Amino acid sequence: MTQELTVMMLTWEFPPRIIGGISPHVYHLSKSLAKNGVKVYVVTCDFPGAPQHEIVDGVEVFRIDSYKNPSPDFATWVYLMNINMQKEAAALVNRLGGEVDIFHAHDWLVANAGIGLKHVFRKPLFATIHSTEIGRRNGIHFDYERMIHETEAWLTYEAWKVICCSNYMVSHVRWAFGLPEDKLVMVPNGVNIQEYAGYKNTDLSQFRRKFASPEEKLVLFVGRLVYEKGIHVLSNALPKVLEKVNAKFVIVGNGYMKGPLSNLVKGMGLAHKFLFTGFVDDETLKNLQKCADACVVPSLFEPFGIVALEAMAAKSPVVVSDTGGLSEIVEHDVTGVKVYPENPDSLAWGITKVLLDEKYANRLKNNAYKKVLEKYDWDKISQQTKDVYEAVLNEYSKSFWA
Amino acid sequence: MRVIILSWEFPPRMVGQLAGYVKELAVQLVKKDVETHVVTYHDFLTGKYEEPEGIKTYRVTNPVRTHIGVLTWVLTLNQQVERVAANIYYNAKKQVDLVDAHDWHFIHAAVTLKKALNIPFIYSVESLEEHRSHGTNSPFNMAIKSIEWLGFYEARKVIVKSKWMQDEVVRIYKVPTNKIKVVAPKSKTWMKDVLETYKSVIGGAVPK
Repeated sequence: MTQELTVMMLTWEFPPRIIGGISPHVYHLSKSLAKNGVKVYVVTCDFPGAPQHEIVDGVEVFRIDSYKNPSPDFATWVYLMNINMQKEAAALVNRLGGEVDIFHAHDWLVANAGIGLKHVFRKPLFATIHSTEIGRRNGIHFDYERMIHETEAWLTYEAWKVICCSNYMVSHVRWAFGLPEDKLVMVPNGVNIQEYAGYKNTDLSQFRRKFASPEEKLVLFVGRLVYEKGIHVLSNALPKVLEKVNAKFVIVGNGYMKGPLSNLVKGMGLAHKFLFTGFVDDETLKNLQKCADACVVPSLFEPFGIVALEAMAAKSPVVVSDTGGLSEIVEHDVTGVKVYPENPDSLAWGITKVLLDEKYANRLKNNAYKKVLEKYDWDKISQQTKDVYEAVLNEYSKSFWA
Repeated sequence: MRVIILSWEFPPRMVGQLAGYVKELAVQLVKKDVETHVVTYHDFLTGKYEEPEGIKTYRVTNPVRTHIGVLTWVLTLNQQVERVAANIYYNAKKQVDLVDAHDWHFIHAAVTLKKALNIPFIYSVESLEEHRSHGTNSPFNMAIKSIEWLGFYEARKVIVKSKWMQDEVVRIYKVPTNKIKVVAPKSKTWMKDVLETYKSVIGGAVPK
């Protein structure tokens, strides 16, 4: 086979459409694969102002009509959107003369399209499971959730290989869907270090003053303000930290817990130490991550924990709860501090330790930065992904579909 | 001539009149030496392949067992229909002349087979959501109507069973009249009309 390896990525979000972590993941993965000599087509949902067809950093992107009529509910919209995605992708592959070697679907949101394309073109299907319904909801309680759970199971059943971004997710997905061991592959998520470069040369003190006074240590939280992110653990740790060190907690993100939490800190008389910024633009976020004295990730459930990785790339010391993907990203006392999940005393201890011992904090962030370079570089990750693609195509070439 | 018929009901699973009609259609097609494949739904006869009266019959079930309504059920069933139809296509050395899709349920599969494998399809109308839902326009009804619209738009020909239905399809979906063929089920020329319509899409002589 002299032609290059060709992959069609199916994803419901791709920049500029950004809803969660799948969008940046697919963007960086596709871009790095293209750099590594893989021809990548991305089929994704449309977005106001974004063209139907464009080439982004060597990746050919097609945006489909994502079904604009009112829908009975989110899941039904997903299935309806999949009709459009599947038919447009089918027409595209047909135009290309069937020259697509692999279909790669990201989460259940594109399960139908991926499965249908696999069968009509008889090509291997990959699935990356970024998160699960049973994990997001902490169990399956209603038919609606069960339907999504079973759609996820169906996708993993039809996939040749299932990719997860952490060992934690590999074992979670194996448990949730009863998958055989050899079907699962761990390829970590990555972070783009270049985006955080230039840190030493830029003076951020003016910028920092908008969020905290110079004598205050800046403690940063980035995430949706929802229960599973453990933001309530952080607010309870606040007075315990302030007993030892003068600090300002900066909370980036939105969610249903914003109201109750802001009442809680007001009740403590500490509203001036707990700043809600809401959503911020990309540049502000990166600058905050660069000038934070500690970045905290107090999640209760976390499939991967990309914000911890971003903080590490931004050379900010991290304090994370010892759970899910975070347990793997951070090595305690070496690349960060791990604390007990859902334990404000433990979290306050971790934050205080990093804020008070500058030598310790410096050691952690330097080690963390090295770790990111070594393990979470997109170039290396895309090479690992390409290796898995090639291994599967080798198996496929011996099948009766080839 | 090799034809794949898609229908969500087929004996022994009878929901309404469609099952009986599709069965009779398949029987008559086989008599005219048309290689007739029927892909349909059945829960506990899943995966079973039979050839009752020469009709190559395939039954699929839904891999997603829990549903919140008929719409999500139909939408996840289509990939199974695509899988079986693609198997027929590849086993027949990529020679399938036509897909005949009955009602909206498997339009989605018919469209994908057309776009992916260049198999033209006919949309055979038994009933329309407009009449079934008495003009209700909830998001649920709108979704089914949008699937019907997709079927009319992508089909090479539309078969209806009465002049009244032809007028309704023109009125509701603005389909050009000459795209719609009236084929009355009980008439003497029924089979001849069906085959002529098939041939108008595929080309070639009408079987005797």
